[in-house]
Amino acid sequence: MFSTLLEQVVNGIVTGSVYAIVAVGMTMIFGVLRAINFAHGEYYMLGTFGAWFATDYLGLSYEASIVVGVLSTVVVAYVVGQLVMRRMVGAPAESGVLATLGVALILQNTVIFVFGGGYKFFSGGYIEPVSILGFTLAEQRIIILVVCLLVFVGLELMVTYSRLGMAMRAVSQNVECCGVVGIDVPQVVLRTFVLGAALAALSGVLTAPVNVSVYGGMGELITFKTLPIIIMGGLGNVRGTFVAAMILGIAESLVATYIGLQYRDTVGFATLILMLMWRPHGLFSTQARF
Amino acid sequence: MSLTDTAPQARRRDLRIPLAAILVVAALAAPFIGTRYVTHSLIIALIFMLPAHGLNLLVGYTGLLSLAQAAFFGIGAYTAGLLAVHYDTPFYVNLLAAGLVSGLLALPLGIPALRLRATSFVMCTLGFVIIGQAIAKNWISVTRGDMGLSGIPKPYFELGPLSFTVTGTTSFYYLALAVAALGTLAAWAIVRSPAGRNMVAIRENETLAESLGVPTWRYKLIVFMISAAFAGVGGSLYAHYLTVVSPLTFQMYYSTTMLIIVLGGGAGMISGTVFGSLLFVGLTEALRVAPEVRMIAYGFCLLVLVFWFKKGFAPLINRFWNAIGGSK
Amino acid sequence: MNAHLPILEIKNLSKSYGAVKAVNDVSMHINRGEIAGLIGPNGSGKSTFFDCSTGLARPDTGKVVLDGQDITGWSLNRIAREGRMLRSFQKTVTFKALDVEENLIIAGQMFTFPTLASTFGLGKLSRSRIAALRERARELIKMAGLWDVRHQPAGNLSGGQQKLIQFASMLMPEPKLILLDEPMAGINPKIIERVVDTIQYANKSLGVSFLVIEHNIDVVTSICQRVVVLDQGAKLVEGLPHDIIQDQRVREAYLGG
Repeated sequence: MFSTLLEQVVNGIVTGSVYAIVAVGMTMIFGVLRAINFAHGEYYMLGTFGAWFATDYLGLSYEASIVVGVLSTVVVAYVVGQLVMRRMVGAPAESGVLATLGVALILQNTVIFVFGGGYKFFSGGYIEPVSILGFTLAEQRIIILVVCLLVFVGLELMVTYSRLGMAMRAVSQNVECCGVVGIDVPQVVLRTFVLGAALAALSGVLTAPVNVSVYGGMGELITFKTLPIIIMGGLGNVRGTFVAAMILGIAESLVATYIGLQYRDTVGFATLILMLMWRPHGLFSTQARF
Repeated sequence: MSLTDTAPQARRRDLRIPLAAILVVAALAAPFIGTRYVTHSLIIALIFMLPAHGLNLLVGYTGLLSLAQAAFFGIGAYTAGLLAVHYDTPFYVNLLAAGLVSGLLALPLGIPALRLRATSFVMCTLGFVIIGQAIAKNWISVTRGDMGLSGIPKPYFELGPLSFTVTGTTSFYYLALAVAALGTLAAWAIVRSPAGRNMVAIRENETLAESLGVPTWRYKLIVFMISAAFAGVGGSLYAHYLTVVSPLTFQMYYSTTMLIIVLGGGAGMISGTVFGSLLFVGLTEALRVAPEVRMIAYGFCLLVLVFWFKKGFAPLINRFWNAIGGSK
Repeated sequence: MNAHLPILEIKNLSKSYGAVKAVNDVSMHINRGEIAGLIGPNGSGKSTFFDCSTGLARPDTGKVVLDGQDITGWSLNRIAREGRMLRSFQKTVTFKALDVEENLIIAGQMFTFPTLASTFGLGKLSRSRIAALRERARELIKMAGLWDVRHQPAGNLSGGQQKLIQFASMLMPEPKLILLDEPMAGINPKIIERVVDTIQYANKSLGVSFLVIEHNIDVVTSICQRVVVLDQGAKLVEGLPHDIIQDQRVREAYLGG
């Protein structure tokens, strides 16, 4: 009984890590753009599809497919960033919602149009189980945990010390002043966006061996799960996002075990709505951005 | 932008009435002009016109961007479907019940949602669609889950001694046309009333409206309920036309479609929504565009509408209407 | 409703934002038919005091009595609709996409339609009410000197003209009392004269009482019969305009003494 609980918590942390890597990009984009990116999950999907294409069509190894998945997403994100996201600087919130919904429709359905809407089988990755401290976990899940920690440590360092990180902080504090002190706001938005999309893609590629199935509509589901996380984490707050992702991951895992698998995917939105009613600004401060 | 003033005198001939007459005749004669598939496409456009009118009241007139329309559309579809399947009630009962149930459910949903601003409100309304779908999938004893409700009877009427069933595509077209026309008339009546002017005031400047005595909170709630009722009525038509309802009636894609109708046709304009339904739903259906391609096209439409074509077709429709109305 | 009672009485109003006491135990009243002024340096709590009196913000303590009726805690729209006490804003001025006439009609609507449900009517009664409002709107537009631009979207007009629209809008419902938040800010001297004329016309001919926040001291001395000075959230002094501008404490407050 207790061991099942513990096992589910560990599983939840792995799921939480997947969400965290996606959500952190989304929350950083909100930080610089003040807009929710409703297309964010699609980059997760693109990364997965890129990797699937690399292993299935090109016969590359899983490691190479990670590179292909992330790089192809970066290219797409760069184009979307240049054409769409840059224009959203200073636009009303509603425009951002509509524009990113449009991007989501285009990306998702282009992939379905090209590769078909059915489920595909992802064959790469390290799925051998290993035992650590009495737990049995697939190697891939351990990789996900490690990468998630590395990503968050890396982001903390980047935001604190790098030029882009400082510019991001500046833009998220006050957009008007940035123009005055010579920070190229659209450029910062573009880079943050590409970085966020790349992280989402990475998360997708890392999860693919665990999820096994790959399909065009998978991104939408991820968008819907990361939305509650970034709200809960306090929009724009990186650490809050990490904690919120873990909470949702564990909650989903427990709901799936003890209440019913079919309710798993509604946990997020039910939480979101309760959140919005109870504390519209999240559990964590939105002031402590990055 | 006066709502009532007309041109003082027309030197050129006013062609608006003849044009309106032609449009009415065309609408009535449509099933005999086009193929059966064209009639089917028009039916789909007419069905979507109803939730779109509701959304236009909300987005176009009151200035509240909502994605919840598909949720109320789905609630209406299930209400009508369940009544028809279990109680064998006549069509108009199902239609009214669908509008009523959707409209009333919008009250408890709208009270918390409307307290939120901009993006938070949008996300909350999106949540209604997702949770609606989850309920439709999991409340199996009522909704039959993923299998959906099937065998919903074709609409039948029971008016005293007279009772009949609408069976063919052509007759369903006239039924949908009648409901859509009534819906359009209702939407028109609402926006022409003093309340319509108050809705526009809320869209333009909520605090100012409030300071002039407009109870903005109550108006927003009422408009949210009315827009849900419109969606519910559309949903009942949808259920009776397809004779099946599945949890996929609750999907974001429908909300997006309705948004494109409203924004593309011209938000804050009744004729814009009518035009938008025919263009964005009727035409794509008639051209048998593959679903993926249609969604890609919708995606581009959204981008174009947001960044370049902000007012949709509204200015063009206005200019055309004024042009044929004779010169001042 | 005794004629000698003040039209508005505010008793011991306080409002804090966090640790900052924006308004601290301020009492004041406005007599029937009076134009009262409210002045004070920036950050003295004038705007907070206004917001708390008009229902835009909720006071922590204190009481607002309008024409003998306790309206503390009423919403902004209810105070306007039922109390006929209207307020202006510094920035929020007009419904920009609507023309001047429509702006005024909206301002009058909530006062001619008794219930929310009745505003959805399109019948003869509703039409005649709107026609009456249009009639009144046109009179006020003429008075404000906006006749030539009455069919233009308000957003196309100058800042001063928009202030005049706002002003005319507030006269639509035959108000008892109008609270003006810096009506002269950012408008040119020519329009200032017109606004002053309109205030005086509304006061004398329509019997509207006023409370005016204003920085332009010439305007204050020329229109106000009595002035209240706020400083650091508290009432500093109250008196005739001429006495006030010579008061040493007032000068110190403005100079940041």
